[in-house]
Formats: sequence, C-alpha cells, structure tokens
Amino acid sequence: MVTYIVRRLVAAVLILLGASFIVYMLTAASGDPLADLRESNVPNRDTLIQLRTDLLSLDVPAPIRYFEWLGGAASCLIPFAATCDLGSSIAGIEVTQLLARAMGQTILLVTGATVLAILIGISLGIITALRQYSGLDYGVTFMAFLFFSLPIFWVAVLLKEYGAIGFNTFLADPNISLTAIVITSLVSAFIWYLVARGTLKKRLIAAAAGFAFAAAILFFLDITQWFSSPGFGPVVIAIAGVGIAYGITLLTAGLKNRKALYSALITVGIGLIAYFAVQPLLDLATPLMIVILAIVTVLVGVAVGYFMGGYDRRQSMNAAGLTAFLMGFTILLDRFMQSWPLYSDNNRIRGRPIATLGSSTPNLDGDFWIMGIDTFTHLLLPTIALMLISLAGYSRYSRASMLEIMNQDYIRTARAKGLGERTVVMRHAFRNALIPLATLVAFDIGGLIGGAIITEQVFAFSGMGQLFIGALGRVDPNPIMGVFLITGILALVFNLVADLVYSVLDPRVRVKA
Amino acid sequence: MRFGRTSKAVGVAAIAALALSACASTDSGEGNSDPDASGDTGASSGGVVSVAEVNPFTSFNSDSATGNVDINGKVSYLTKSGFNYINDQLEVVPREEFGSYEVVSEDPLTVTYTVNEGVAWSDGEPIDGGDLLFSWAVSSGYFDDADAEAETGTTYFAAASTAGLDLSLLPELGEDGRSITIEYTEPYADWEIAYGVIDTPAHVVATQAGLADEDALIELIQNTPEGDPEDPQERPELQSVADVWNTAFDTTTLPDDPAMYLSSGPYIVDAMVPDQSMTLVKNEDYNWGPETQLDEITIRYIGDATAQVQGLQNGDVDVIQPQASADTLASLEALDGVNIFEGDELSFDHLDLNYSGVFEDENVRKAFMMTIPRDAIVESTIRQLDPEADHRDSHIFDVGTPGYEAATPVNGSEMYDEVDIEGATELLDGATPEVRIMYSVDNPNRVDAYTLIAESAEQAGFVVVDGGLPGNEWGAALGTGTYDAVIFGWVSTGVGVTGVPQLYGCGSASNFSGFCDEEAQAAMDELIVTTDEAEQQELQTIVDTRLFDTGYGLPLFQSIGINAASDSIEGVGFSPTQEGIWWNFWEWTVAE
Repeated sequence: MVTYIVRRLVAAVLILLGASFIVYMLTAASGDPLADLRESNVPNRDTLIQLRTDLLSLDVPAPIRYFEWLGGAASCLIPFAATCDLGSSIAGIEVTQLLARAMGQTILLVTGATVLAILIGISLGIITALRQYSGLDYGVTFMAFLFFSLPIFWVAVLLKEYGAIGFNTFLADPNISLTAIVITSLVSAFIWYLVARGTLKKRLIAAAAGFAFAAAILFFLDITQWFSSPGFGPVVIAIAGVGIAYGITLLTAGLKNRKALYSALITVGIGLIAYFAVQPLLDLATPLMIVILAIVTVLVGVAVGYFMGGYDRRQSMNAAGLTAFLMGFTILLDRFMQSWPLYSDNNRIRGRPIATLGSSTPNLDGDFWIMGIDTFTHLLLPTIALMLISLAGYSRYSRASMLEIMNQDYIRTARAKGLGERTVVMRHAFRNALIPLATLVAFDIGGLIGGAIITEQVFAFSGMGQLFIGALGRVDPNPIMGVFLITGILALVFNLVADLVYSVLDPRVRVKA
Repeated sequence: MRFGRTSKAVGVAAIAALALSACASTDSGEGNSDPDASGDTGASSGGVVSVAEVNPFTSFNSDSATGNVDINGKVSYLTKSGFNYINDQLEVVPREEFGSYEVVSEDPLTVTYTVNEGVAWSDGEPIDGGDLLFSWAVSSGYFDDADAEAETGTTYFAAASTAGLDLSLLPELGEDGRSITIEYTEPYADWEIAYGVIDTPAHVVATQAGLADEDALIELIQNTPEGDPEDPQERPELQSVADVWNTAFDTTTLPDDPAMYLSSGPYIVDAMVPDQSMTLVKNEDYNWGPETQLDEITIRYIGDATAQVQGLQNGDVDVIQPQASADTLASLEALDGVNIFEGDELSFDHLDLNYSGVFEDENVRKAFMMTIPRDAIVESTIRQLDPEADHRDSHIFDVGTPGYEAATPVNGSEMYDEVDIEGATELLDGATPEVRIMYSVDNPNRVDAYTLIAESAEQAGFVVVDGGLPGNEWGAALGTGTYDAVIFGWVSTGVGVTGVPQLYGCGSASNFSGFCDEEAQAAMDELIVTTDEAEQQELQTIVDTRLFDTGYGLPLFQSIGINAASDSIEGVGFSPTQEGIWWNFWEWTVAE
C-alpha cells in the first residue's frame, strides 16, 4: 500500500513537471506581453518596454525562464519558511496573494452547487432506477439531458433575465396573476402524475390533488403577500416537522418501527418548543453559535432516540437525530425569512434583492441574518446554473449503477429471505450503488478549485477561472502558472484519493503495490 | 461524587447556555433594529452611485509603470487634485482653487507652479514644496543612469511617462514653501500637461523609505547629482526612496496604514474588496475644487459586457462602461430608463505604406490609397455602433476637435473620399506591383479591413499578398521591412502635440514607414517649441497635408466608445479622455 502511494506520488510530481513545462511554453507562445506598449506613443516607451522585459525576464528564452519560475515555485515546498515565490503579475501583485483570494471566491461559488448536484443527482438517479422505464424515468432523463446540453453562458444570462431582473420586478409588487396560478398548478399536476404509480385512475387523482395543492398554496401566498414578508410560522413548521418525521423514519427504520417513529415525532415536539425558546437567542446569532446549536440539536435528537430505546436503539437514534437536524434547519430557514423584509428594504438593496453580480453587496452592513441572506441572493443564480448542468452526470451514473446492483444475485437473495423492499433498497442496494460514484465525487471535489470559468465571467466572480482567463488575455505568465499549479496538484491528489477510497469501500478491489 | 440524572441535565444545559451566550454577537441585534444604519446619510442627501469598471484596481500609484492601468488613473482622478484637468472637448482646464501656474519666461521656457494655501493631504499635511519637488524628481527621470545597451546603471523611478520633464533642469522651490519653478532646456509645447502633483505624498514616501522627514527628501533630491549613463553611480538612499515609490503603493486591499492612501481630492477610499469593489466617500477636508454632490461612490469590477448591461438593468450598478460592440448597443437600446452615451475614443486604425520597396514610387502609393474602400470598412466595423459614423480624414487631429474640422477640407484627404479604381489604374499605367499587407489576424476589425482593401486593390492591378501575423508577432514585426503596407492602430493622448514628431519625425522610434519630408520636419521642429494653440494647429495641418500629399497611407476610422447610465443619475456625459465617463463626476447627481 505504502509503496503504491509513493509510486503514485512520484509519478504525480513527474506529470506535474512535464505539464507545467508545456503550459509555460504555450503561455509564452500565446501572445506578446508588450503589445500594449508597442502601440503606445509615450516618449519613454523604450524604458517602459525595458522595465517590463526585466520584470518578466522576457529577454531570456522561454524554456530557461521556465526553470527560473520553477526555482521560485520549488521554494514553496520548504515548510513554514514562507519563501513561496510564484512571481508577480504584470501589475506587480504577488501571485500567491492572487491565488489565495481567487480560491476563496471559487470555493464559495462552487461548493454549494456541487453538494446540491451530488445530493439531488444521486437521489434522482436512484429513484429513476427503481422506476425504470416509467414516465418519471423518461421525464427526469429528458430534463437531465436537456440541461446537460445547454450552454452555461446562455443559461446564466436567461437566469439573470428572469430569475433576477424579472423576479425582482415581481417582488416590487408581488401579485400572482390567475394565469400564473393556473399554469404553475398544471405543471404541478403533471409532476404529480409522473411521480404517482398505480392505475391510470390513481394517477389522475394524484394529478388533481397536485393541481389543487399548488393552486391553494399559490393563492395563499398571493393573499398574504408572502413574498414581501416570507416566513413559515409555527403551524407550517409543525406540519413540515411531522412530514419530516414520517419521511425520515420511512427511510431509516420503516414505519413499522413504532419506537423510531415516536422518537422522531417527540423530536418534532421538542423542536416546536425550541422554536419559541431560541428566538431571542437567534437575534444575537453568530456563525459559531449556529454551529453549536446544530450540534446540540442533533444530540438532543439522538438522546431522544436513545431513551426511547426499543430492540434496535440505533434506528431510533438515527431517525430522531436526522429529524432533529432537519427540524433545526427549518427553524433556521424561518429565521432567515423573518429578516427578509429588513434585507429587501435596506437602502443598499433598494428593493431588488436578487443580485446578478459578485458575491456580496458592497458596504452592506448587518447582522448574521442580513449578511446570510446577502450571500444567498448572490449565490442563488450561479448555484442553480452550475447545478442544473452537472445534475445529468450524477443522475445518469447513479441510475446505471443502481440498475446494475438491483439485478445482482445478492439482491435476489435478500428478497428471497423475506426482507422488506425498504431494507433491500436502502441497506443492500443503495450503499453498494454509491461505490462507483465515490470516484466521480472525489474527482469533482478536486476539480472544484479549477473553477467554472464561464460562470465566473458571467456572474462577475473573481475566482480562479477569472484569474486564469484575465491573465491569459494580458499574456501574464505567472498567474496562469499559479492557477495551473493549484488545479494540477488537486487533480492529481484527488485522483489518487479516489483510487484509495475505492479500495477501502469495495473489498473486492485491492491495491497492488 | 455522584450526580443525579436531573442535575446532570441541568449542568449540561447551564454549560450550553454559557457557551452560546459567549459566542453571541455583541451588537445586540443592532443590524436588525436599524437596517440602514450605514447608508441612510447617503440616501438623505447627495446619494450613492455604483459604477462598473472593466479592470480591477491594483495600485494607489497610477504614475508608475506597473500602476499605470486605466482604473488606477480613474481612482486617482477621484481622490487627487491637480493644477488642471482635461474636459470632454479635450481642452486643458486649470483648477484655480487648487493652485496656479504661469509661464515666467518663454526663452528658456520657465514655469512657476504655486499650490494654494490650505490645500492638504487628508492627514492634514499640506501639499507643499516637498511634494512639488518629489513630483518633478519622479516624472523627469533626472536621476536615471541606465544604459539599456551596456546594461549598466539604474532606472530609479519607473514612471509611466517622462514626457517633457526629461528636458528640464533641477527646479527651484519658492520661498513660500509651496511653489516650484521649472526651467526647460528646450522650449516644450506640451508643458501644460507635462507637470502635475503625483499621487504619492512626499512625506509618506520619505518616512517609508527610512528618511527622517519630507525635508530630508527635499535635501536628498537637491543634493544628488543628475544621473549620467556614461558614469553610473550607486545611490542607495535614492534607491530606497525609488523602491518605496515603485512598489509600496501597489495593493488590492485597503492598507492598514491610512498614510498609504491619502487623498487630496473630493473623495477618499473607504473600503476595498479585492477584485470585486471599492468604495469612495467624501473627503471632509476638501474645499479646493468643484463641490461634489454624491456622498458615496462604489466602483465594481465587471469584465463581461453582458454582465454589465444586466447589472445596470437589475440596479446592481448605475453607470456602466462596457466594451463597445453591436450586441451590447442593441441590448442597451432595448432597456427602459437608461441613457446611452456614445462617442469617439482616442484610438484609430490606419493603413501605412512604406516609403521603400514596391512603394518607393509616390504614384504607386497614391494609386494604392485610391483603391482603399474606407466607406466599406467603416460599414463593416464601427457603423454598426453608430449609423452616423464616418471614416477619419486626418492623421493627426481627432474626429470632432476644432483642428479636425479646420484641417480636413484642406489637407488633401478629399482625394481619397471615394474609391477611384480608374484613377489608380491610370497612375499604375499597366504595372502590377506586388504588395504584402501586414496586420494582426487576431483583430477582427483589421481582418475585415484587409479583406476589403485586398479585394479593391486587385481590381486596379495590384497583386496583394496576405501578410497577416498572429497577435503575438505583428507588434514585433513593425518597422522591420518585411511588409509593404501595414494596418494597425494608434492611441493618441488627445491633448498635446509632442506625439506628432514621435510618429512622423525623420527616423523617430515610432515612425515605422520611413516617412521623412523636409517641409513636414521643419513644421514639426517648430511645433514642439510652439506654445500658442492656433499656431500649433496651423503647423499640425502642414504636417497632415504633407502626409496625404506624399502618400503616407490613410487613416481608416476612429474607435467608438459606449457608456450607459440609469436615468436616475443626472449630469453624466461621454468623454474621450482616459478618465472617460468620470471626467465630470462632480456634476453627477442622483434624482429623487
């Protein structure tokens, strides 16, 4: 195992050296860093050209310049010496500084989208695999491929047009027209029809229910002017809580496990009491406090499950813990919504909350909730754009993998010994279906930092992609090499991690040294 | 000791409560009760404006070679005052509230600059003799003893431009301590824009460089001998001052030390988010210039033109300066409540012919010029942005200036208004010269121009060879004689005349085509020592006419810029200067 890792690491270093050399040569050949000075007609043009030539060592042939750069980069390897020298950009800013900032922005932009894409994509894949060749399967497949094939700059511009500009105009006067209610309800009916199973009659009833449900909600939202001052309130939280309790129990323990169900429901009850109890505390929230509260919440849930006991304590604890977490999340969401009117009326926001640019409103001043909403309104659109496009990959992979697993002998065995469908799917199939995805996920996390060049461009995020493309435009070699170095190392490391994780998850795969 | 279950639970709860209260925010929900705490002063009086810029801010020293990026210059324009500024008509306007300047002697040209009393940096330190002298020291290259060929000596202050002041002697400071007298060794036509107070306060540079104070810096400048490339010297003290000036002001975050971003103008930087935005607020002490209306200006860096337009539409920004394109213009025109500002920028594309090789004969040059379809070129490039746009008819004057209006009817450009294939064929008299045209294949406008020119010239009998080069090579090929004609662009400074001999003087560095004409040279020699504007214009017209008469080539078109602003912002206007839309920022107001 150790020899294997060492061998892989040595190979990685060699690949990195070779690739960085090629990238350096390509960058050097991509343009003339002096172009703007050549067209200038200031009298000291020659001095300026000389200065920039000295700054970027342009008088040295590119292959030799590469080794100068490599020498600086190699000093980054000395730990704790802070001697890292990746050069500086044409504007004289150190590349290490540029990289640190750009990475932060990119991680902010891409993390949410990637996590959501993984969660939603895998869920969709599993569900469609279980309902193979149903209307739902075809529907999801169609949508996944549709989004997959859309160019992201176009999706992003459309999202801005309707999701930001149009939606903000709507928010100024949030009256939902009758046409909008009817159309949305019809869409809802169609989705319910696809999701429901059974005879045509049953599915039509489901569609009718879906129509009525959506219409009622929209009507209610319209009457109460919900969009101006959104919120759940204790009633909705209670209903949602009970729903969460049933859903989580169904997935983790099965509804037949009464102790688990009761633990989850008791957690919901405690959550409702806590909803009123923590409101004054939440007014003073800080990120650290939210983290502590989240931990406490989960612990309370687990404790409830523990004391409810039963023949399988673990199941109750799982169900109650998860329910507690989601309940806490709902309360958190509600608290954010309570701050929405304050945010929206803030004179920096000027009543147009959904932003099209950047990661935060400049000079916005507010408490935890206001700043949280600000981040949300800025990340909403880019996250949707990125997520829609990467959904397809995850859902198709997990669908294929799940289908394969469901036809395995051990699934038949599990069924044959009389296990319930829930246990077969959740315990025997689902876990094994995730193994091939580990590679994909590990690799995607490595690719996170590489950024989403076009998305960053359209949403004016100054992340890694922007740093790269901007530097390429100015033929500014050092930032390009900095970006390449980071993304290259991450790609290689996570490739290795993916291989190792795979062998840990699947005992059939053994790493050969 | 044993605890019961209840007491354990109480204990845990108590500890949890303690931990939570410890990490609670201390401002007790102030943000809640007072949502617009930060900005309500803005809303109640002058208002707040958010402006999109393409490039991110990189330096508080826009006079240095590395800091000389458009955005840095614009921030400097907002936060620093000077003796004059350039308006949208490309006229130099003195700022009398800041200081005054007068020519005390024409021969030798001597100018005295005096800063008014009470004009100060935002830390209270007055702008005085030290600043004036240091500004000169930096912008004159006086101490430089670098010799590029021998690779000896040092360029101390890496100034973006040393135009004019490189011809000046070590100036004298006035007795009032806030005036300076600069003497030029030769008359210099553009003296009015040659000297100004630079971005960086002398007292800050002095202390940063380890000198005792501003006076020590004055002494250092006055006592250090002029640099001599023949005899380079080590000057460590000056070097440390230069190092501070060259690099210490480069930053993308707000420096911890307020001295690094002092203001002497209407606004002062209040906050910076690297690569995203910058906020300027009023400089409370400022009263030496036009009174500004806006309380706060936010600059946001948005590279993408579509993103700028949609940002304007969504109210994220109020003023935008996107890269001009037909698409951008169309999407702006589709918006309500937006004012669009279009105008000529200071760069222009032109076709130059070599005065050698196949074009040695003036008639061949003229024949080639007759075939250039300038209307078709304009049609395929800038007319999409502005239906009224026309080709440029002067090598020297920018479209729309008084000089341009006066020169174009008489400079001989009329001859080439229309394509004249017949005339060209006649001039060629049966010859079929082979012409290699060089241009950048990465610039679509120039590719279009080349295609149209080649097509038209071949009708007259020219054999056109495509000499297009990639974007990284064409610049280096200029002036190497590997082509006969070249299509490229110049960026003019808009003001001043010293650029003329640099481009068209016999043997000067940027004269790539080998143009050398006695009459034009005489006019240029006189031009750079003439300070009277009317005379300058006359001399420039002579050069312009000679360029057309001798078949230098043809100017093609001047680029067009597009800016736009929400109609809630009043007083905004286009300007071709480097400051662009900002040129009259003190006139901007937010309509209620």
